[in-house]
Amino acid sequence: METGLRILLLSVLVTALSGCASLRNWLDKDEPKQEEETQSEAAQAAADEADEQPPRVIEPEVERRKIKVPKIDTENVELGAVFGALSVEDFGTNPVYGVLAAYHVTEDFFFQAEAGRSTAGKTSFETLGGNIQLLTGDERRFTYYNLALGYNFLPGEVFLGRGRAMTSSFYLMGGIGSVDFAGDQKFAVSFGAGYRILPTDWLAIHVRMQDRVFDSDLLGESKLTNNLEANIGLTVFF
Amino acid sequence: MFVTEPYLELRTGPGRGFPVTQVVPRSESVDVLKRRTDYFKVRTERGIEGWAAQKDMQKVVLADGTPFTFPLGDRAGFTSHRYEMGVFAGDYSGATLISGYASFSFNSQLALELSAGQFLGNASNGTLVDLGLTHVFVPEWRLSPFVSLGTGIVHIEPKATLVLPPDRTDQTAYVGGGLRFYLTRRFFARAEYKSHVVFTSRNDNEETDEWKLGFAFFF
Repeated sequence: METGLRILLLSVLVTALSGCASLRNWLDKDEPKQEEETQSEAAQAAADEADEQPPRVIEPEVERRKIKVPKIDTENVELGAVFGALSVEDFGTNPVYGVLAAYHVTEDFFFQAEAGRSTAGKTSFETLGGNIQLLTGDERRFTYYNLALGYNFLPGEVFLGRGRAMTSSFYLMGGIGSVDFAGDQKFAVSFGAGYRILPTDWLAIHVRMQDRVFDSDLLGESKLTNNLEANIGLTVFF
Repeated sequence: MFVTEPYLELRTGPGRGFPVTQVVPRSESVDVLKRRTDYFKVRTERGIEGWAAQKDMQKVVLADGTPFTFPLGDRAGFTSHRYEMGVFAGDYSGATLISGYASFSFNSQLALELSAGQFLGNASNGTLVDLGLTHVFVPEWRLSPFVSLGTGIVHIEPKATLVLPPDRTDQTAYVGGGLRFYLTRRFFARAEYKSHVVFTSRNDNEETDEWKLGFAFFF
């Protein structure tokens, strides 16, 4: 009887203690966090130890890739030739040929240098007057050069057939230069417009119209002459 | 080069007006083929070619992760660059002057400058070529003054109708100064004065003034 009572009491005590142990987990929700913290502290300590002692057997020999950027091909310079017709005021319209160089500074603006030569014809006075010659053969040579600023006014694309698109641009230009005609050199102002089509990235076809204005006193009175020029050109980008 | 932005836009031509027809997604690579003004022609992994804007190409990285750098043509370029070219209109002792110049910069302040011009006047025409040094005082300023010093030759063709003096070619020396004003992109305006001394074969030297104003760009 006495041993039976003792077993009963002990079993009650054991049950109560285990219950308290499970209750303690229920009530203390913070307990797991503290455990995590202690774990991370331990990991930190381990890492510190590892830093203090670096007994690595193999040193990694990783070579950093050295990258050299090759020089980029900049194609801002345009060089080419033009051919067309120049109307010298009072002296008729004659063929003109010239050279053209341009530097494209931005997508909008470019600087342009051009030079050309033509031979002026006869005035109507000379044609009607029989044997009268106003100018000698050398003096009829019309040579000009011009420095201009151009503005790509209407950039766009043109479409040729079904599968071909070519970039193009309508541009305006204005510049200053000189004209050597009739044994004299004159300051000339030029302005005009052109249309540029690029069949490939490096080749351009131009159709241009310009007016070269300069003061002339060849026919007795000093007047401002307008010398219209229309030409087509072929240029290559470098 | 690898795209780090969400995508890289490719246009059909080198200009803002051309339509975007392709995009390259992030982390794909492109090859740069050429550059025209502020646009780069690139080829994608799939072989598609198009033009990418400079501002987009600044965000592209090389295979080792370093950014792709190139001369931008902005205010920093105005302060420090290698070459300059420009065109002027002006006055050379009463005659109309057309001139151009090209310069090579040793550093941001000192440059070697070659200029050539033609003057067309009522009394005479002529050409002049100058070679000299230019010093910019404060290249960082948007409006920056400079001085120049050099030597040259002048060829004068008098236009007198009654008595025709012969053409003459003389050596000159000049000292001058001027102002440069940064406009936008690669452009700047430049105003300049040069005082030339022409060493003539006569007893006295001539002094001529040259005033000019023009546009120039750097690259």
